Amino acid sequence: MASKRELTSEDGNSSTKRAKMENGNGKQDAGGNPYLAHWNDDSNSKPLRVDPNGTSGWSTLYGGIALTNNRIEANSADALYNFKRHATTSKQASAAEDGPLNPFTGKSLSNRYMGILKKRRDLPVHKQRDEFLKLYQESQILVFVGETGSGKTTQIPQFVLFDDMPHKSAQMVACTQPRRVAAMSVAQRVAEEMDVELGEEVGYSIRFEDKTGPNTMLKYMTDGMLLREAMHDNNLTRYSTIILDEAHERTLATDILMGLLKEVVLRRKDLKLIIMSATLDATKFQKYFHNAPLLAVPGRTHPVEIFYTPAPERDYVEASLRTVLQIHATEDEGDILLFLTGEEEIEDACRKINLEAQDLVREDAAGPLVVYPLYGTLPPAQQQKIFSPAPPPTRPGGRPGRKVIVSTNIAETSLTIDGIVYVVDPGFSKQKVYNPRIRVESLLVSPISKASAQQRAGRAGRTRPGKCFRLYTEQAFKKELIEQTYPEVLRSNLASTVLELKKLGVEDLVHFDLMDPPAPETLMRALEELNYLACLDDEGELTVLGSLASQFPLDPALAVMLITSPEFYCSNEILSLTALLSVPQIFVRPAANRKRADEMKDLFAHPDGDHLTMLNVYHAFKSEEAQANPKQWCHDHFLSYRALQQADNVRMQLKRIMEREELELMSTSFENKKYYENIRRALVAGFFMQVAKREGNGKTYTTVKDEQNVLLHPSTVLGQDSEWVVYNEFVLTTKNYIRTVTSVKAEWLLDIAPNYYDIASFKKGEIRTALQRVATKIQRKEQEKGKR
Amino acid sequence: MKMGEAKARQKSKAEREAEAEAVREASLATALPETNKGFKMMAKFGFKQGDTLGKAENARKEPIQVNVKEDRSGIGLESEKKRKLREAWDEAARVAKRSKEEEGDYLEDRKQQQKEKKMERDLDSAQRTAERLFEKEAEEMAGPSSEEKPLKDINVLWRIRARRRVEKEHDRRQRRELENSLASRLPTLAQDQEEDTDTKIAAGRDVAPFYTSLENDLEDEDPELAEFEALPVAERLQKLLVFLREQYKYCLYCGYQYPDANMEGCPGITEEDHD
Repeated sequence: MASKRELTSEDGNSSTKRAKMENGNGKQDAGGNPYLAHWNDDSNSKPLRVDPNGTSGWSTLYGGIALTNNRIEANSADALYNFKRHATTSKQASAAEDGPLNPFTGKSLSNRYMGILKKRRDLPVHKQRDEFLKLYQESQILVFVGETGSGKTTQIPQFVLFDDMPHKSAQMVACTQPRRVAAMSVAQRVAEEMDVELGEEVGYSIRFEDKTGPNTMLKYMTDGMLLREAMHDNNLTRYSTIILDEAHERTLATDILMGLLKEVVLRRKDLKLIIMSATLDATKFQKYFHNAPLLAVPGRTHPVEIFYTPAPERDYVEASLRTVLQIHATEDEGDILLFLTGEEEIEDACRKINLEAQDLVREDAAGPLVVYPLYGTLPPAQQQKIFSPAPPPTRPGGRPGRKVIVSTNIAETSLTIDGIVYVVDPGFSKQKVYNPRIRVESLLVSPISKASAQQRAGRAGRTRPGKCFRLYTEQAFKKELIEQTYPEVLRSNLASTVLELKKLGVEDLVHFDLMDPPAPETLMRALEELNYLACLDDEGELTVLGSLASQFPLDPALAVMLITSPEFYCSNEILSLTALLSVPQIFVRPAANRKRADEMKDLFAHPDGDHLTMLNVYHAFKSEEAQANPKQWCHDHFLSYRALQQADNVRMQLKRIMEREELELMSTSFENKKYYENIRRALVAGFFMQVAKREGNGKTYTTVKDEQNVLLHPSTVLGQDSEWVVYNEFVLTTKNYIRTVTSVKAEWLLDIAPNYYDIASFKKGEIRTALQRVATKIQRKEQEKGKR
Repeated sequence: MKMGEAKARQKSKAEREAEAEAVREASLATALPETNKGFKMMAKFGFKQGDTLGKAENARKEPIQVNVKEDRSGIGLESEKKRKLREAWDEAARVAKRSKEEEGDYLEDRKQQQKEKKMERDLDSAQRTAERLFEKEAEEMAGPSSEEKPLKDINVLWRIRARRRVEKEHDRRQRRELENSLASRLPTLAQDQEEDTDTKIAAGRDVAPFYTSLENDLEDEDPELAEFEALPVAERLQKLLVFLREQYKYCLYCGYQYPDANMEGCPGITEEDHD
């Protein structure tokens, strides 16, 4: 088995490069690198060979610290020397952890490390280290259940390191996380716990950011990243152990990975797999993985008393505000966590609670109250605020202060906030839904599941016994809530996933063994879309374009648009646009300042549509004037600095892939009157399946083929006189909206996507008639040309 | 003029929205046809209409429903509304059916109904009397009055009365809390913390949590009472009447507590006996 880790170039994110190097100089480098010498399985040969002159490029990189290398080698060999792979005990590991030298780097362990070590050993998982090791050693697959607070995410991978010693076989341990933020912050934490620098022995890898190095032996990564790696290395040979963490969240990528790994473990008997879940529903995982053994570690939780309302609530937001204030005025000390559904609702609730609380304080009916919002798009610095302690009493001996966190469901599992004693749960969250019949993918406010409600309640018992106030009746809890939240795979457009699976070599998608297979129509629609995008041929085989598109961590439509953009002489611009469409909303529109924000947006507005407007923003952002003080400039123009910065980063990453794939980067000269037209045409090449036509002269549009009545989203800059538009999103609210729209011409549709715009395949109606009219016009023109 | 015409032809906003929704719902209810290109690719691997994907049992056949929430109603409100609507409808249907039936039948029914109503009233006064007599007796014996007793210790024959009182008190408290906004009516004095419960209640500032367990199903909470209340009214009344006679030598229809167990002068247990 070629399981030597390739030494990577500085371009750490390029997995293909790594794959290509596998049979090349990777092995040689490893041999010549004293850092890696101990990787040789044959540890008796004591390969403490330090080449004073250095070999190949190594000395230039690491030569400067050659002196310490001697020590590193000797010491790390000492600490783990007697360790027999997959036969170690917790006692051995503890001894090695105690130091005085770091068993993995050989450096002296810091005082801080010792302090953390003591705390780590108090974590619930620690007590079962031996039990864990035994099962891990005995079984190829293990299901591990650890409730929140058990320490599983930080400790289990380290337990594995001491027994698996991946560095000795030039491999790594991977631990996947559903969220980018979690991957980053956990890696940071574990690096501290292991007393190493982040990016060295412990690193992380998330989309558009890779913080790992040649020494990395433990890699936290998003589940999506591991999936992408699998595309180039179907057997995931770089890893000796793969840990799928937070599997209970059932993200799309985790579900696909489980399906893949179920097959990979059959091909690679040396690969170990650990499925980690925070809920006791783990028997489902066990069953799926051929009755793998299960180990459960209790979390550190306290009992939570649950209260229901006597009758259904007329207005759940109103009811939650009332409850929060009631708790504040009457309950003992302890912080409150309120679950609401989205940014706007949360900000509004925060304002109202603040006002009411001020009244209470003024009347001295309650202590001071601080309210913090928490949602995904909130800047990290502001997210961090939720961890600040509750305010002190206004005067000594006065009523105690309290903090309230009003959060989306990100506080349900992913974030742990200590000090929460009261949870208010109205029972809703925003959930993604996808329906293949009308091809709508939207975030909709939906009732949560029973499992979710339990998880929320559990948040009240982190520090001491708590209370959970459910704003619905017990009857409703029993009868109206579904048992488990639908896994993402049932709620997503699978076009991207299908492309990935094809690239992964999965031929038969119909029988691909998913834990919860989606409705057949979802696969049908994905295959159809990929076929129209020419990523799959009529037989369902991957085309050259499809293979190329799968190289990009993008939706197939975006990838195809980007790949074909050189044909429209605007790949630079489409590259920027693709990046802009891959990040959160760049326009900021604060409730208090809407008018001003809209005026600023108008500065960038392009009459032909939102895509072009976004591009204008980006170009302005990159101008010298803006770059002088980009933060201030964004603030002044009501733009999100974070989103634009992120777009910049994404653009750079995508550019690298384009260069690697030898896709030409070019622009039409700005003076050329076709500058914008070319961009709009390139847009059609990717988004021809997301087109709507205006009905008569009205405001309403009809989507092509699916024939849904839609309105332009109020945020659009587009005037009302565009007959045909491409749109980026079909959003469902109480109305059907299309968001981020740009006007296009019917001629382009027929010209660029003739397969999709095969007029014969259209239902009789306004759209067909209009297309027919245009087609006839084109024909006549060509005939005239022919005559001339 | 022309503009007016155009306007007249244009659908109102509400109409447009309703139409858009109707189109959406119709499309959501329609499965993709076999002519779909993806279907052909799947058929290559043996997929047939009606099959499911993967290898799991009970895999989905249909996509998850899309439900757009249009207001801020809490969980359970919608089904509660539906339930009430259904009940009203059922009632209307029953009434309609009745009116169609023969008049004789109707009169007969009505008589029966009136009889039942009378019995309900008698039951109520029998319970009230039983409770009163019991309390009087208890007072004389200086035992605890039923007010302080847990519900379950009250004789099931009239326990429902005590329960109704508790529920009423609870409703009242809740209404009061709702009416007075929190901010304006919470304690304003610093020494409030030391105030005892009585004072708080007296001042209308009782701040007990408004969540109680009263709304739980009677069945779970008090099976004994549930069982008794499930009996037909005639039977319950009978039990009360017998109890009153045996325990307190009291006849409801004579309205008199006899001095001895013979109850001389009382024609019998039932109302008919007193005719």
